[in-house]
Amino acid sequence: MSEKPSLSRRDFLGFATWAIGGLIGLGMGIPAIAYIIGPALKRVESQEWMRLGAASKVEIGVPTLFKTKIERQTGWITNQTELSIYVITENGRDFAAMSNICTHLGCRVRWNVDQGQFFCPCHNAVFDRDGNVVDGPPPRPLDRYEIDVIDDQLYVLGG
Amino acid sequence: MGNWLDERLGLREIWAAIFLRKIPKVNWLYTLGSATLFVAFNQIVTGILLTIYYVPTPDHAYDSVQYITTQVTAGWFIRGMHHYGASAMVVLAAAHMIRVIYYGAYKFPREVTWFSGVFLLLITVGFGFTGYLLPWDQKAYWATIVGTKIAGTPPVIGDYILRIMRGGEELSAVTLTRFFGTHVWVLPIMLILLISIHMYLVIRIGISDVPKKED
Repeated sequence: MSEKPSLSRRDFLGFATWAIGGLIGLGMGIPAIAYIIGPALKRVESQEWMRLGAASKVEIGVPTLFKTKIERQTGWITNQTELSIYVITENGRDFAAMSNICTHLGCRVRWNVDQGQFFCPCHNAVFDRDGNVVDGPPPRPLDRYEIDVIDDQLYVLGG
Repeated sequence: MGNWLDERLGLREIWAAIFLRKIPKVNWLYTLGSATLFVAFNQIVTGILLTIYYVPTPDHAYDSVQYITTQVTAGWFIRGMHHYGASAMVVLAAAHMIRVIYYGAYKFPREVTWFSGVFLLLITVGFGFTGYLLPWDQKAYWATIVGTKIAGTPPVIGDYILRIMRGGEELSAVTLTRFFGTHVWVLPIMLILLISIHMYLVIRIGISDVPKKED
């Protein structure tokens, strides 16, 4: 034991302290990050068919507003959210369903009967009857829902 | 770069004063204080993380704790570390105190260190008492009923103490929020303040030697 060790006791203990401290830091740090971002990464709910109402209520050429309640689980709270969906038909047989949520920043658009256009009050966006952007900042047309008619009842796929 | 910064900040001196100070030859019992400090740090980190989801109202307290434990990624781990860390902190602080008594380390010139340590132990117990209510389950509820009732036993002032602790006659939402506020604001500030004093004194005075036969 007379030769000088390449790694002194002091250096070894210093190194070991940093190594163990680093392991503990990782052991806490990784779960902590997972814990914080966990709920953000969860993709919510499967889509299901929701009944909107009678197809006969939709006048030809006029977007008609339907409201439906869905249950949403947010955190530990289950609450009911109301979805508003515009349904339009040109011939009484083929229907299209559009969300009333503006594609710009999420305000609610409304159908203006006189002008025959959708308006968003937040930043003056204008959409035409089919949901295409006519004026204003929205990046894309109004979102569409898959729609189906069974026995005069309208169903849309959503969640 | 390091030298440039150190010329201005003088952090190396502080580092040396804290970590490179001379200590007498001591045994493993002298690590109990550091262990308590480590657990305190764990409690602070995990406690802050728990407040991200926890809601201190009768409507949501229990459900939010269940959500943390069963739904949030690693939530069981964070809550578990806080839960068991709480017990560990009381045990370690008490063991640290017994070591200080046994070796007579509380004597001159370390009396103030001792006093600050006594208050630190009381604060730790206060943490345990207030934190116990927060999950808002049956155990929490009845333990706090009993605990506040015991605090209400002194003659004359007892009833006032009980009412102040509960925020009224009954254990209620008012009790839960005041326990929460005490647990996450009042006690942590006191704890950090007193730990600072305690550590300053330990570093300034140095730690005591193991007493010899002839002492």
